[in-house]
Amino acid sequence: MSFKRMATIMGGTFGLVAAAPLFVGDIRFIMHILIMCLIWAVVASCWDLIMGFAGIFSFGQVAFFAIGAYSSAIFSVNLGVPAVLAMLLAGLFTALIGVLVGLPCLKLAGPYVALVTFGVHMTLMPLLRGKIGMALGSGGSVGILTIPPIRIFGYSFSSANLVPTFYFALLLAMACTAVILVVIKSHWGTAFLALKDSEDFAMSLGVSAFKYKLMVFALTSFLTGVIGAFYGHYIGMISTRMLELDLFCTLMVMVVVGGIGMFPGTILGAFITVIANELLAPLGTYRAMVMGALVVILVLLLPNGVMGFWLKPAEAEAPAA
Amino acid sequence: MLTLSNVTKKFGELVAVNNLSFTVEDGQIFGIAGPNGAGKSTVYNLITGFYPYEGKITFDGRDISGLPPHRISQLGIARTFQVPHTFPSLSVAENVAVGNRFGDPGRYDPDYVREVISFVGLDAQLGHPTAQLNLLGKKKLMIAAALATRPRLLMLDEPMAGSNATEIRQLMDLIVAINRDRGITIIIIEHFMRVLTELTEKLLIIETGTEIAFGDPEVVTSDPRVCEIYLGEQSAESN
Ligand SMILES: Nc1ncnc2c1ncn2[C@@H]1O[C@H](COP(=O)(O)OP(=O)(O)OP(=O)(O)O)[C@@H](O)[C@H]1O
Ligand SMILES: [Mg+2]
Repeated sequence: MSFKRMATIMGGTFGLVAAAPLFVGDIRFIMHILIMCLIWAVVASCWDLIMGFAGIFSFGQVAFFAIGAYSSAIFSVNLGVPAVLAMLLAGLFTALIGVLVGLPCLKLAGPYVALVTFGVHMTLMPLLRGKIGMALGSGGSVGILTIPPIRIFGYSFSSANLVPTFYFALLLAMACTAVILVVIKSHWGTAFLALKDSEDFAMSLGVSAFKYKLMVFALTSFLTGVIGAFYGHYIGMISTRMLELDLFCTLMVMVVVGGIGMFPGTILGAFITVIANELLAPLGTYRAMVMGALVVILVLLLPNGVMGFWLKPAEAEAPAA
Repeated sequence: MLTLSNVTKKFGELVAVNNLSFTVEDGQIFGIAGPNGAGKSTVYNLITGFYPYEGKITFDGRDISGLPPHRISQLGIARTFQVPHTFPSLSVAENVAVGNRFGDPGRYDPDYVREVISFVGLDAQLGHPTAQLNLLGKKKLMIAAALATRPRLLMLDEPMAGSNATEIRQLMDLIVAINRDRGITIIIIEHFMRVLTELTEKLLIIETGTEIAFGDPEVVTSDPRVCEIYLGEQSAESN
């Protein structure tokens, strides 16, 4: 897909979303859902970048999100770092963890990368709940309950004033996804695709697998860490509940709905999934079942996700082009 | 230009390359032949840094042992693979551009990319996905991408395999043009003796990773030990 078409889809989506407060600005529940959509749009897009474009089956996306949220909260609560700076530091810290997780993955085949990265996810909950986590300020099984909101020039972006916070989230999501768009269309993106398609051929043509794989780990964990940090400051409290499987599965649904390797499809996927999830709420415990069935049907009928509707027939044959 | 000194590669118990030494001179077309499993492709994988090994390989006097594949490519050694490799997510032109952008960093030139594509005869497929290429097209694409790195040494791994007589002629002309007109030294692994005797200046025959014969192709191909190895393959060559 061309840069122009990707940018148009993104611009159109964000443009529509930006107008939402005009109609539903005073319905708190809906504003909250829209903010969450924007947050998940970034996390899902990062997942698509590393999995769909770079072909690295990293299942550490939620772990990176949690690392970003926790580190930013700890920086601001325990060290008194201003929220905006704490978010940036949290992003850098998460990127560092991402690179450390990426290093052992470099030589591993796909399924093992999935295991290693999901292993990080699995260890995070006991770590945060245990003594080490407590010592670092994770709040154990209770979590961190007093995360200060983002404050710029004395104005605070919290759940108390949802419309400005929504626009803050919108700008942040636009910035993060714009970075992803530019990277995909730069020679980095070409290197990612080349390494995914044939690592040997790519290396024989001068592409450093080491450099670009670590770069994609660093970049996606940085952006995921920053948006995770934003989540913490927005909600005001975090706990290890975010590491339970339902969020992980919902995110996977977003990527599948958006189309794997079909960025910016994940942005649409995030909105569709979050809204569908809310609409299905009356089904109670059957909701997960219906969502699961929808995924199976989608994968079979729309392998390119919602982006399948936008693709020309020729492009549909070469995903992620 | 390229020298292997006592290079040995073991895969567990299996000795794939056994104490092999040879030198390729600047400007040569250098042939390597041997039966299936002789270790020919493994020699390429060692030269291009895909596996660690014992011994030493130098390129233009510089020790390249232990360098990663992308560094070796950037130093000017390009290769093709026995089984065609392409990037299906990218168009033909983008595939070739990868070689130019990453194999010759800082000197990316879209005109040069286009020139190499038309040199191998793929202009008509410039914007196509690689899935639309036939076997010959994919081989040409690998050669174009390799040339796009601006190599001084190009290593071809059985470029003729699976081609008919006309295609073999075409590929032979292409190889000669790469060598004569572009001044690129070539190593070619090939099963077809006729191709090797016509193209190469020096021919190395290996079996189970060990050198069997080396020298002028006419002399080497009449060596009784080489004839013995190739007895079964002579008939395959005639079709
Ligand atoms: N990565 C590897 N791991 C284990 N064994 C290998 C590996 N690569 C090659 N071998 C073995 O090394 C030996 C030499 O293989 P190689 O592919 O170099 O032979 P070749 O001369 O290119 O044969 P062919 O004419 O069939 O292409 C074979 O026995 C092969 O099975
Ligand atoms: Mg071989």
